[in-house]
Amino acid sequence: MDKKTVTTISYLSRLKIDGEKEEKITNDLENIIKFVDQLNDIDTSDIEPLTNPLEKTAKTRDDIVTADNLKKELLEIAPSSNEDYFLVPRVVE
Amino acid sequence: MTIKYKTIKEIKNMISHKEISNKELVQEVYKLINENSHLNAFITLNEDSSLKKAENFDNNPSDSSLAGIPIAQKDLFCTKNLRTTCGSKILDNFIPPYSATVIENLEKAGCISIGKTNMDEFAMGSSNETSFYGNVHNPWGDKLVPGGSSGGSASAVAAGIVPAASGTDTGGSIRQPASLCGITGLKPTYGRISRWGMIAFASSLDQAGPMARTAEDCALLLNEMCSHDIKDTTSLDENIPNFEDSLNQSLKGKKIGVVKDLDLASLDNNVVKVFEDSLKEFVSLGAELVDISLPNLSLSVPTYYVVAPAECSSNLSRFDGVKFGRRSENPKDLEELYIQTRSEGFGDEVKRRILIGSYVLSAGYYDAYYKKAQQVRRLIKKDFDEAFSNADVIMTPTTRGPAFGMGSKGSDPIQMYLEDLFTISANLAGLPAMSLPNGNIDNKPIGLQIIGNFLDESSILNFAHMYQTKTNWHMYTPEGVKE
Repeated sequence: MDKKTVTTISYLSRLKIDGEKEEKITNDLENIIKFVDQLNDIDTSDIEPLTNPLEKTAKTRDDIVTADNLKKELLEIAPSSNEDYFLVPRVVE
Repeated sequence: MTIKYKTIKEIKNMISHKEISNKELVQEVYKLINENSHLNAFITLNEDSSLKKAENFDNNPSDSSLAGIPIAQKDLFCTKNLRTTCGSKILDNFIPPYSATVIENLEKAGCISIGKTNMDEFAMGSSNETSFYGNVHNPWGDKLVPGGSSGGSASAVAAGIVPAASGTDTGGSIRQPASLCGITGLKPTYGRISRWGMIAFASSLDQAGPMARTAEDCALLLNEMCSHDIKDTTSLDENIPNFEDSLNQSLKGKKIGVVKDLDLASLDNNVVKVFEDSLKEFVSLGAELVDISLPNLSLSVPTYYVVAPAECSSNLSRFDGVKFGRRSENPKDLEELYIQTRSEGFGDEVKRRILIGSYVLSAGYYDAYYKKAQQVRRLIKKDFDEAFSNADVIMTPTTRGPAFGMGSKGSDPIQMYLEDLFTISANLAGLPAMSLPNGNIDNKPIGLQIIGNFLDESSILNFAHMYQTKTNWHMYTPEGVKE
């Protein structure tokens, strides 16, 4: 784990790490990765990954409207919106 | 007539015998909240609406199971028209237009949601020191942490402000604070309680549950919290028993699995003694002890710290300043809007976990970390499958020791992560598990963990209730033993 890796994963995470905290966070990440590296000592050949403890296929349901339309309420709690859309800084000139 | 330290059952009796009106009850709760404001257990109160509801119960008495019972809700559950912050700055202005299914279920049963409790930011922490809204204090001592992440809920119940609170548990966030605050808390089987409207941290591990003074009250709450919910595709469509029915069953001949590869030597001697004393109580109640083996138990913490951050980095990508929550001011373009909003809005621990998650999911590392951790996760689950072929429940201490001092874990995150050593495996395997008070060390409470088989909350509650009929550790309060 070096500063370059931290810069890359920070960008992937859309996070900016302050200069003064960069060293501490690089160090923390390094230690956490070292700590989880002990998993590599375990033989897991032929073991299926367990993604979810239920291991059941998600159920489908009939395609009928069950919830109220909250459009107005949801647009009202947005940081910036008009009557139909969420607003963000211009992306197309 | 005080309601301090009363259980739900006791408060229901007080209401039905007209010793207190519903309105007086709610007024009393807010008085206790004010008297205990130094605990910082609440982020947002719901006073006007709660008083109105209480008056309504006075005018139209109801016989629903939680009618008029004041309950504190963890600030991770969306509550309609009531601010929901998840302990984070990024949601400090978020007022959800809907309620989580579990909140709806509890309110349908008559409970009054009196306020939202403080918590580690996005439930990431074991001491409540990562909340944007400040540390929660443990009522058992000055500068002691209440545990986390459901620290506000645990502290409010332990201080006797409310008889019960909701919590959520991803790696121990109900059980560890229950242990450190001397209360009873249950994490049900993964999928028992709908996750709809719960702010997601790690979706394959998160589960809501009750926190109360007794196993009996937890059973009552669990009856109302569980439901099959088509809005949550991982919600279980299984029979939901009446959890109160099995509380008083005899423990004669029932088997308690004791983990023989548990490294008790690494624990405080007092913790070992308290644990062994509890096992003796169960034996005197007729239960048998059997040795079981969980050889991969020690891998649960490293496995968790791959799986949980991976799921968190994905879940928390929704906080981008576009649709709800805070947005940074004057970003020059959309990219800067995302980056600044997230960098200003999240605290250090949340950022650390997002970064770890992005790392273990990134190209070139996915197989080495994420896939590997999921394979070990299966090994851990298999160990439990085998153990339960010969045991009704498994018991361990909940925590490595009683409540610790604020700031005492230093700045190394791994020291804090190891706090959840005994609790994490139940989340990885999806199993129900409870913590209940079973001793005091230096006048600080500590808890016993009972892990049950898949869908078998009833056995856990049965063991816990029988223990609480024979011992009085659950009657201990910071002000002495309750009469």
